Amino acid sequence: MVNSGEVVALFGPNGHGKSTLLKTISGLHQASAGSIKFNGLEISSLPSHKIVEMGIAYIPEERHLFRDMTVMENLKMGAYNRRARPSTQQNLAFVLEVFPRLVERKDQLTSTLSGGESRMVAVARGLMSEPTLLMVDEPSIGLSPGMRHAVFDSITKINREKKITILIVEQEIRNALKLANRIYMLKKGHILFERSATEVNVEEIEKAYF
Amino acid sequence: MNSFLNAIISGLISGSLYAATALGLTIIYGVSRVFNFAHGIVAVMGAYLAWTLLSSGGQLNLLLGIVVSLGVMYIFGTLVYRFTINPLMKKPGWDISTVLFLLGGGILLENVLLQIYGPRIKSIPVLVDGSIKFGPIVIQWNDLLLIVIAVFGIVVLNMFFKHTRMGQAMRSTAQSMPGAKVVGIDIEKIFGLTFGLAFAVTGFSGVLLSTKYFLNPHIGWEWMVKGFVIVSFGGLGSTNGAIFPGLILGIVEALVTLYLGAMWVWPIWFAIFLIVLLIRPQGILGGRV
Amino acid sequence: MKTLKKLSWKNILIILVGLFVLIYPLVGANSYIKHLFILFFIWSVVAASGNLLNGYAGINSLGNIGFMAIGGYVSGILAKSLGISPWISIIIGGIVTCILVTIFLGLPALRLSGIYIALLTLIFADTLPSILTLTREITGGAMGLHEIPGFLPNMEKIHAYYICFVFFLIAMLIIYRTIHSRTGLAFMALRDSENFATTLGVNRFNERLKVFAISYFLTGLAGGFYVHSLGDISPSTLGIEPFLLGIAMIELGGIGTFAGPILGAAVIVFGGEFLRLAGTLRLSLLGLLICVIILFFPGGIMQLLSQSESFIRKQIKKRKPVEKVQPT
Repeated sequence: MVNSGEVVALFGPNGHGKSTLLKTISGLHQASAGSIKFNGLEISSLPSHKIVEMGIAYIPEERHLFRDMTVMENLKMGAYNRRARPSTQQNLAFVLEVFPRLVERKDQLTSTLSGGESRMVAVARGLMSEPTLLMVDEPSIGLSPGMRHAVFDSITKINREKKITILIVEQEIRNALKLANRIYMLKKGHILFERSATEVNVEEIEKAYF
Repeated sequence: MNSFLNAIISGLISGSLYAATALGLTIIYGVSRVFNFAHGIVAVMGAYLAWTLLSSGGQLNLLLGIVVSLGVMYIFGTLVYRFTINPLMKKPGWDISTVLFLLGGGILLENVLLQIYGPRIKSIPVLVDGSIKFGPIVIQWNDLLLIVIAVFGIVVLNMFFKHTRMGQAMRSTAQSMPGAKVVGIDIEKIFGLTFGLAFAVTGFSGVLLSTKYFLNPHIGWEWMVKGFVIVSFGGLGSTNGAIFPGLILGIVEALVTLYLGAMWVWPIWFAIFLIVLLIRPQGILGGRV
Repeated sequence: MKTLKKLSWKNILIILVGLFVLIYPLVGANSYIKHLFILFFIWSVVAASGNLLNGYAGINSLGNIGFMAIGGYVSGILAKSLGISPWISIIIGGIVTCILVTIFLGLPALRLSGIYIALLTLIFADTLPSILTLTREITGGAMGLHEIPGFLPNMEKIHAYYICFVFFLIAMLIIYRTIHSRTGLAFMALRDSENFATTLGVNRFNERLKVFAISYFLTGLAGGFYVHSLGDISPSTLGIEPFLLGIAMIELGGIGTFAGPILGAAVIVFGGEFLRLAGTLRLSLLGLLICVIILFFPGGIMQLLSQSESFIRKQIKKRKPVEKVQPT
């Protein structure tokens, strides 16, 4: 469960269902059983484009950028849904402020970007859809420590300034713990435990992995 | 030397027409990864639709015929997607089941057309008569017009993909389907559009080809196989990538016919296909829509 | 006997049919029916080999009919022009088909993904008529080869019947053993999950090569049996109609099943009468048939059969408990 305005972190060993959970919420996967509710509405059988329309944005770990398009074109595609289109210019300004690195790259093809930069584009593109809930899957994986900090700072900024709820899946426990309000530990597809971020420390979480 | 030059010119013309034919194929594949094995029939059908209006008399009717053909083929394409391809794509193994289905459907359509129109050759009359001479080279005005139309069509398509929302959505889906889903594109709607657009374009190319060559229900196969070869040459999914290979293959075909005889054309096409696939299965130019 | 326990109604049916086929010509079947049976035997082998490739190994080879023709032409030419005995020329035909196709199609196909294989085989089949015309001195071009010697001097239909029947049995046995052998498991594993299979040590190249070899060898052999039983072959054997028929047989019967192609071939060959009656509508009906099968009955007859079987079983179960719930 995630409350409005929160940052919730999902931890757990690989292959235990964290990504699948996010993908199912976003409509990329079909749930075989159970229910998913957003703002009181049942969304588990909705197709992915309707879920984006409702305000949930998913940033996959694989990024899935449009490789033969420029950064700018990718961002503009992010505002594809009806709700977000009128605010395209404002959102563009905002995301470029959050990710200043992208300003100089804006006319480059995304296939030419570095790992960290393409991760930024992915998050920025998700923001362009005017979400109320942003789900990010392993934003810091494969990034240098400097980049990781930048990405986490951006996420914090997004949460604070735009009051966007964040659900983040991470392996980088320490940093994720710093920006989260609450955490869930997932193991073998089930919730092992739930904690407020202040009540738990890194060691405890790491132990739960095994 | 004369015949050589004329062959080159002739090859350029037929090549650009072949390239136009390949467009519809590459559009569908690029966006949805479905290989339209009914491509030839779609072209033929589009041509027959135009011809039907034409034979009711009058030159102006050709224009009307083309417009009607475009419209009907577009609707037909979206219907085919909605009622047949879509359900097939929801099951595993769709990449082959769609191929077989389209193959069977193509045969069905071909024979329906045969029943309606008969096996005798029809032709769509040239739009302009006469020819122009550049020294030893003779070019038909109509051929030039065809090239102009084909080029114009390709330019319009490019603009569509670059500047319209639908076109951009199609490009995005072609480049990354999960990416398209994540930004909120309705994939099924885009696929329907894609099929509609591709069918319309293909039908139109059929009309063009019919002004230069002849039209009967069976010619679709030949057009389609040539389209296959061009598209693998230029990279499946790349609209502009079909142009250059189309021209080259058109020239090769003309030269082969001139020096070796028409019977060699098919084996040579096959050999080229084989070689391209062996060297670079993703096409010489590689690429996306 | 252990085997008696395994005798389901299916096995009994198969044995009965087999006996029927064995005895039928002796009790006076007419020439035309024998002809149909010969076609059935040969087509079954072609369909089953095609099914081995498409259904079991997941390789989308479409132009199988063309390969049958290669085997047929080679064997026919060798027998007619060089006087080689059909028994030998058929085998040569099979080997030549196998080698040619494996080199021109099989090896490239190893490097390519599904759709390209289908394209390649389709275009190859389309090109064959041109090649035949180009080599018309040897192959007879559009006219085809005629008066191809039979298996025995003064051979009659009934001899051809039994010879083809034996071929049919042997070929089916080979296919059956292949499916159930390690190789069969290997290429089914490759079909279902290639990455996983290769990590387990399945050699993609080898296994695929084996499938190609067996399948195309049998198809080439079938072509040989075809020409020596019927005496003629021409480019129309490669036409669109046999091509579609080949596909229809596999799909109709049930792709990926053992009995499927046999059933499919039976329906198409014996039911072909209806197709003939339809005259010019023949091809449209074929196309329609394929469309309908793929849309609504992707598992073919076999799927229908197994669905009816489970349906009947459910009905039987529904009635039984009533007898048990008797107040005592």
